[in-house]
Amino acid sequence: MKCSNIHDDLIFYLDRELSDERMEAVQKHLDECADCRNFLELLKQQMQLINAEKHPEVSPYFFTRLSARMDMTPEFKVQRSSWRSIAQPAFFTVLLLAGISGGLYIGNRAYTPKKNTNASVNPLMIDDFSAEPIETFLLDEL
Amino acid sequence: MDEAQLIEGIQQGDRKSFQILVETYQQMVVNTCLGIVHNKADAEDLAQDVFLEIFRTAGNFRGDSKLSTWLYRIATNRSLNFIRNNKRKRFWQSIEETFAGGRNNNREISENRSDQPDHEITDRQRKEMLHLAIDKLPEKQRVAFTLNKYEDLSYQQIAEVMEITLASVESLIHRAKKNLQDQLYECYKKKCV
Repeated sequence: MKCSNIHDDLIFYLDRELSDERMEAVQKHLDECADCRNFLELLKQQMQLINAEKHPEVSPYFFTRLSARMDMTPEFKVQRSSWRSIAQPAFFTVLLLAGISGGLYIGNRAYTPKKNTNASVNPLMIDDFSAEPIETFLLDEL
Repeated sequence: MDEAQLIEGIQQGDRKSFQILVETYQQMVVNTCLGIVHNKADAEDLAQDVFLEIFRTAGNFRGDSKLSTWLYRIATNRSLNFIRNNKRKRFWQSIEETFAGGRNNNREISENRSDQPDHEITDRQRKEMLHLAIDKLPEKQRVAFTLNKYEDLSYQQIAEVMEITLASVESLIHRAKKNLQDQLYECYKKKCV
């Protein structure tokens, strides 16, 4: 088997992702070819580097720094829940309406209409018909 | 506290719930970002951005996927954006350096290495070679490979994070490994390590 054919499969050979037949063929070639064995060794070392660098230790101050960033950013300071964003304006609206209604009620109660003692007599109006009969008036004119 | 209670707490702006979320998932998020950006300090900064975005958009989480899936998605997107922005910065920086005559920097770095023990140089070179090879992968292959190798996610889990089919994940990882192998073989032939 040619080395160029084997090179295509080595990374899959490492992860055991080849068929049984193919795994055997690659193994057989590796037993005979030092160059392919060396390249496989390089591949193995590179993949092991990934294992070595993954899951690094996270700084113990990670949340402290995150919290500090949030405190400095205005949008995170006023974080309201959905129910609070409705309840507060609703409360002030109710308060305003209560104030207006209360004011109207108090204003209506304070206005008391004046009582008339003699409803039939208007002191400013002179009843000409009763003061002087019409016939006498005409005779007087003649 | 289960996931639903955690999210509810965060939606109501409860810092305690948020702290529990961060402490539970910080390792996972940092590790995911590290697999893509290859720098621990940048990975931690990006992880903080991920959690801030979670806090900001908790109201949009409908609970139809797992919380970890959502975290992985944001972490990979943020990491890829970071790399794209860096590429642009480096491109303009290299143009600036060309005109400002900054070409001597590379020579200075290689001279400094002669002070260090051989095994340290080899380890660092191997890491650089690996990171360069991963960085050259197309974005989707890179994400799928990182989630599989750095976070040990199954193909099914990767499909949920990337919102693609299982067959697509298999294809992406297969091509990623193939591309990685080809690049490492080029390096092997040139005896770079």
